Amino acid sequence: MAAIELRDLTKRYGDLVAVDGVSFEVEAGEVFGFLGPNGAGKTTTLRTLLGMQAPTSGGVSVLGYDTTVEDQRLDALADTGFLPSNPQFDEQATGREVLDLHESLKGGSRRADLVDRFEPPLDRPVREYSTGNVQKLGVVQAFMHDPDVVILDEPTSGLDPLLQDRFNEFVREERARGVTVLFSSHVLGEVRRICDRVGVLRGGELVAVEDVETLLDRSGKFVRARVVGDLPPDAFDIPGVSEVTRRSTDGATRVSFTFTGDVDALVDELDRYPLEELDVEEAPLEEVFLDFYGGDEDA
Amino acid sequence: MLELAAYGARKRLKGALALSVGLSAFSAMYAAFFPSLTGNLDLGSYVEALPPAFVEAFGLRAFNTIEGFLATELYQFAWVILLGLYLAYSAASLISGDVESGRMDVLLSLPVSRARLVAEQYLSLVPGILLVNAVVAAVTWVATRVIGYPVGTADLAVVHLLSLPYLFACAAVGLAFGVLADRESVAQRAAMATVFGLFLLESVVTNTDYAWAGAVAPMRYFDPTAILVDGAYDLTGAAILVGATLVLVAASQLHFRRKDVN
Repeated sequence: MAAIELRDLTKRYGDLVAVDGVSFEVEAGEVFGFLGPNGAGKTTTLRTLLGMQAPTSGGVSVLGYDTTVEDQRLDALADTGFLPSNPQFDEQATGREVLDLHESLKGGSRRADLVDRFEPPLDRPVREYSTGNVQKLGVVQAFMHDPDVVILDEPTSGLDPLLQDRFNEFVREERARGVTVLFSSHVLGEVRRICDRVGVLRGGELVAVEDVETLLDRSGKFVRARVVGDLPPDAFDIPGVSEVTRRSTDGATRVSFTFTGDVDALVDELDRYPLEELDVEEAPLEEVFLDFYGGDEDA
Repeated sequence: MLELAAYGARKRLKGALALSVGLSAFSAMYAAFFPSLTGNLDLGSYVEALPPAFVEAFGLRAFNTIEGFLATELYQFAWVILLGLYLAYSAASLISGDVESGRMDVLLSLPVSRARLVAEQYLSLVPGILLVNAVVAAVTWVATRVIGYPVGTADLAVVHLLSLPYLFACAAVGLAFGVLADRESVAQRAAMATVFGLFLLESVVTNTDYAWAGAVAPMRYFDPTAILVDGAYDLTGAAILVGATLVLVAASQLHFRRKDVN
């Protein structure tokens, strides 16, 4: 049995189709990244999965329970943790009061450990929290009842890089303990570090479900080079090169492009020119979407 | 059970205390005024000069007795109008406020049914209502004895007891709007306008051929003047208010259970 299942899930708001026929499964113990640009329908999908809104059509289940049915939803939630994007808590309450309430309703066997690890300022009222502190409190409440499944919507937004690393390390440990994690992100780098598989959502449609290695192979490189002298017009006219820019300065040419083709071919091509500088880095997610997942919609 | 209600009630404790202090001061002030009013003014002929609908709306009969005076100034005004509107307003924020702020996403991720969430949010108002009634009843009992015009203990207790179903009903109206509306301010305004509109309706149609229309107004079923002046306790009215409250809360639960929370 898959820990999480979406079958042809569609959610419409009037004429707007927010999620269009999305199907995928997350196996027990898997860390699944739900990747897509902002506005792709990630949050709508996750909220529908948890029964906050009803699907227009299609089905969803968590831990084998149909979350569109109230009784089953509650059974699923007893062993599920959720961190919404931009989580909101009672502003007047202290972090401790918020966690006390959550503990009284769903348990808190891991609360102390998580508080030690993420250190939200529990004695201060939530209204004084920074975005990062709210996020820390959100992570603690999502995991405090030792859930089997955790659904996280953009969990690292608002966390500083150091804390992001700590969070990613934590998710890896949770995976080792057998916890199933589904989390959304628009940051490829984050997904590649902690996911087993990735689903790519674009314009409400699931355009790919891949092993993370496959996605990285496809993700392409952003290449910048400084070449002595001028470049012939057909320079870098090889398969996989796109978005070429070139600019001549001081007897040299700066060239940059996105590359998604065969790396050997790229090296051969670069070898034809006298290089002063070469920079190859992972392409930003937006470029990946444009190159592989279609269309010229804004990504 | 009742964890959410207890949490909500604790959160409202300060507000309920402030309201108790304010309304107690209100009660004490009126008690302090009363001896000089009866001494210096012919209140009986003043009331006779007023239009009958006005006398009825504010329960002005027997305005020249301490019972009639308090029934009008404290209970008709502060309880029926002010407290009724305040509870409709507060209850309207219960669900709509959490939805609009985004707190509802976290609440709905708890293993708590939507029906229970609505019920417990509603119940979180109850301790505050009880507190205000207990405090003001005690203060009024003492104040009327200090000025030498004691109000009967039983009638005073009953006016507060029978005000509870009325206040619960006003809160249930607010709850229903809070579940219907997606925006807190819309729910608050609609709830207050409805409760105030019902008060006006009942005031205008009473003693006319259209008096039946006032049957939808909760004010019809709680009359502080009848209790304090005549010692008449409308238990049927109280039962109707309890019934209406249960219907409104159940309807709110049913609606919220099906609602898409956005």
